[in-house]
Amino acid sequence: MPNGDSPLLVRSAPAGRTDEAPAARAPGRPLGERLAPFVLIAPALLIILIFRLWPLLLGVNFSFTGDGEQNGAQVGLGNYAELFDDPVFRIALRNVGLLVLLLPIAVAIPGLLATFIFLKVPGNRFFRSVYFFPAVLSPVIIGAIFNLLLSVDGPLNAVLGFVGLDPVDWLGDSSVAIFSVVGVHIWATFGMGLVVFLSGFATLDPTLLDAARVDGASTPQVIRHVIVPGLSRTIQFVFVTTMIGMLTSMFGLLFVMTGGGPGGSTYLPEFYIWIQQGQMNRPALASAASTVLFLVMLVVGLAQIAILRRGLKEE
Amino acid sequence: MKQRALWLAVLIGSLALTGCGSASSRKSSTSGSAGKLVVWDWKSSDKTATNYVAKAKADFAKKHPGTTVEFVAQPFDQYYTLLGAAIQSGKGPDVILFNGGGQLRDRADSLLPLDEYVAPDKSRLAGWDAFSKEGKIYAAPITLQGHPIYYNKTFYSKAGLDPAKPPATWDAMISACAALKKAAGVPCFAQGNKEGYGIQFWMSGMGSSILTPDEYDQWIAGQRDWTSPNVKKIFSLWKEVNDKGLNTTGPNSTAMFMDMYTKFEAGKAANVIGLMSDVGGWHEMNPILGAENLGVMLPPVVTAGTTPSLAYDGGVGYGVAKWTKDPALAADMVRSLTSKDALTAYSADAGAIAADTTVTVTGGGPAAAAITAEIKDGKPALHVALSAKTQEVMGRVSQQLLAGKITVDDGVKQIAASDKG
Amino acid sequence: MRGSRLGKWVIAVGMAALAIATIYPMLFTVNVAMKTQREYILDRFSLSSGLRWENISTAWESGGMARYFVNSLIVVTGAVVLLLLIGSMAGFALSHLRFRGSRALFLGCLAALFVPFQVIMVPLARTMADTGLIDTYPGLILAYVAQFLPFTIYLMTSYYSRIPSEIVDAARIDGNSPYGVYRRIMLPMGRPALLSVGVLNALFCWNDVLIALLMTPSPERRTLMVGVTSLRGQYTSDIPLFASGVLIAAVPVLVIYLFLQRQIADGVTAGSMKG
Repeated sequence: MPNGDSPLLVRSAPAGRTDEAPAARAPGRPLGERLAPFVLIAPALLIILIFRLWPLLLGVNFSFTGDGEQNGAQVGLGNYAELFDDPVFRIALRNVGLLVLLLPIAVAIPGLLATFIFLKVPGNRFFRSVYFFPAVLSPVIIGAIFNLLLSVDGPLNAVLGFVGLDPVDWLGDSSVAIFSVVGVHIWATFGMGLVVFLSGFATLDPTLLDAARVDGASTPQVIRHVIVPGLSRTIQFVFVTTMIGMLTSMFGLLFVMTGGGPGGSTYLPEFYIWIQQGQMNRPALASAASTVLFLVMLVVGLAQIAILRRGLKEE
Repeated sequence: MKQRALWLAVLIGSLALTGCGSASSRKSSTSGSAGKLVVWDWKSSDKTATNYVAKAKADFAKKHPGTTVEFVAQPFDQYYTLLGAAIQSGKGPDVILFNGGGQLRDRADSLLPLDEYVAPDKSRLAGWDAFSKEGKIYAAPITLQGHPIYYNKTFYSKAGLDPAKPPATWDAMISACAALKKAAGVPCFAQGNKEGYGIQFWMSGMGSSILTPDEYDQWIAGQRDWTSPNVKKIFSLWKEVNDKGLNTTGPNSTAMFMDMYTKFEAGKAANVIGLMSDVGGWHEMNPILGAENLGVMLPPVVTAGTTPSLAYDGGVGYGVAKWTKDPALAADMVRSLTSKDALTAYSADAGAIAADTTVTVTGGGPAAAAITAEIKDGKPALHVALSAKTQEVMGRVSQQLLAGKITVDDGVKQIAASDKG
Repeated sequence: MRGSRLGKWVIAVGMAALAIATIYPMLFTVNVAMKTQREYILDRFSLSSGLRWENISTAWESGGMARYFVNSLIVVTGAVVLLLLIGSMAGFALSHLRFRGSRALFLGCLAALFVPFQVIMVPLARTMADTGLIDTYPGLILAYVAQFLPFTIYLMTSYYSRIPSEIVDAARIDGNSPYGVYRRIMLPMGRPALLSVGVLNALFCWNDVLIALLMTPSPERRTLMVGVTSLRGQYTSDIPLFASGVLIAAVPVLVIYLFLQRQIADGVTAGSMKG
């Protein structure tokens, strides 16, 4: 039976955070056993420290040095100044803001679909398996496929033409391109969110739904007053994971579909880092951009958790 | 507990902030070892390069029978990123393929000057400019690359224009475009600027008919006057052609490689600024359009008094890493890679115009013949003189120009700023 | 509660359209792979003239796909095994073995999820190179483990914390060391989660391009996804060949998906449930 207050770390209540666990503290316990937790966690800790934390610090370190002839020289905040001077990096940051604004849509889509499936729309079993399908493909593959589908003389515009609309240059029009890429990303990942929501539905107390039905509530009302509160944990989880996904895994799509264009309008910090590091041969500048990206993620992530905690306060 | 955590954080933070590291490895070496040379490129895995590689290896083996040569073919999309990573981590290759121009010059500080080693080849090979920086040579060319303007003779005939006499002035070009649209129903130019290369080819393909000979030469020499009206014309014409509807649809989302050329070859446009070696040129166009049907023209005169010429330069070439264990050995490999036998094979298989002036192109049809005839009067390509960074800015600005998001003046200013800085 | 039955069907139609949009791109790719290069150049979107398998066999043989496939297999297996092992050990420790700082560690693990690969890729490449791990199987495996460990630990901790502490206490009283508990209780009881998390991790590792590209530049160690992208060279105009490469890379994933849909779904939900 689950107990505990936080959805994340669950531990049985007795004395919460103290270490008065009866077994481990009994005098005379062999050292090996007392060290057991640390031994068990050591490999994980080592790997994360060496291959994630250390490079992170190294990166911050590099960001204060120079590139090319200035390799190894201290340049203070020079790289950062250059970053914020660069119009392309500013576009990248602006796009991050855009993504954060689009986040609710990216969460609502699987949410709504899950609701309909749960409410037994005809064909729901079929939809369930089909919708997860894109999540299984690699972004590079998806990008390549959609490059063709979204081209000006491609099938999507053909469909538009069919219903009498003008063709749109989905990937070549700088006001539309970023939305196209985000759209493809959502196409590729909504299956994951869907599955999570469906599992959340499985834990919903059916009696509440019946009660609402008996009371004559309409569907939107049921959604707002029974389903959303009941799924608050799940919604939180989907929000956070979707955000992480949007801010960190759109690289593959960007690279294949737009290369950051047109006119730099689809740049994201992660893409900027890649280009500066490789094509432009400026690893220190790339490190500065990495640091900025990390800070942005921290801030956005923490803010999001705080907002959601408050908004969906259920207990 | 809290206090300790705080101290830890401070300690780590200050370590991180000292900036005492260097983003690029200072102790570099190559992954080659005694008796082994590592060569990086993006071509050696192509079927068209198999003979070439074999011949180069054979030539090298004659001079150094005991050394093994390992060719590592990387995907071109990622080539420079991978190269940068390998160099920075100190495991770079010994011999490296480069595109001429910005990418090579940007990395010249990692390369060995080859002047003394390639002296005997200097007169036989052409295209050294693209591989030189500040008077020193950093790579030996294998192909010549240029930007002829191809056109579809059938469409021209259909439009009542003489296919043997393409338009010689810009005004004639505009009327030809109108006729082509009317009679053959195709847009004048195939354009693909997704990667930002469209503007580069436009600049180099049309440059000799827009800039005066003096301006042109000064540009190549490094004195570029971005406020000159002719330079601005390059960009305003670029924009104008698009605004007038003379391009295929969606230039900003069409990849030059290969969608733009695919469009031209599929008969969806009448003209295209192409390449003279490898892809995007006569070698792949001949079989699809028919060799007699593929025409080549010099750029129509835009500014009065200019002399249109073929813009070409060294295409790709092999250089040597600065820290290779045996420079003479690596340089010999480069010489084998540019040997006449090897280049003859490459030219025949890949449809390239070899940097070896003694190698003649066979089976290239009238188009290749026309191009080869122009080489003697040709001049280096304008865009190749720009740094990779400036090319990137230019690519972005060009996309914004087509989308109407920036004025020509502002755009040129941005590019100029990058070129100066 | 449900609106009119008409409403239900209207929504169903909309959802069906979405379902088509989900499958169509894959069908489109199959169509492109069936074309000859010339056919593709002449019309990119028409139906292929026939079922043609040469492209696929060409991609497999001379495209080098066979070797890349093996590389991917080796690396993914190694990574997944390590991930499950290390992740479950850590999950057990964090969920049942109370010790100082376990909460901090867990939060740290969560924070690590926020570190995108691009942020550490420059220094990580340096670190890997300095330790001679570039271009090796162990190097790439370690990079994957490092990348997906936080996620794995999170899921395993969540799952394990739902196992009642009484069971663990009972085993301890029976005289088991923590290692024994791990072996005899956590591993067997954790099987469903391990399977799901394993499949998910396999999926992520198989589909990755970025990390493999950086860590293993040479063709001998190249993985399948990277190999597919290299089919589109600067000058390659053979898109049908590229599409075949895409299919080769996607087929194993699709097969696994079809058979293990249930497990994949469960893996994703394991971490999202309450408590």
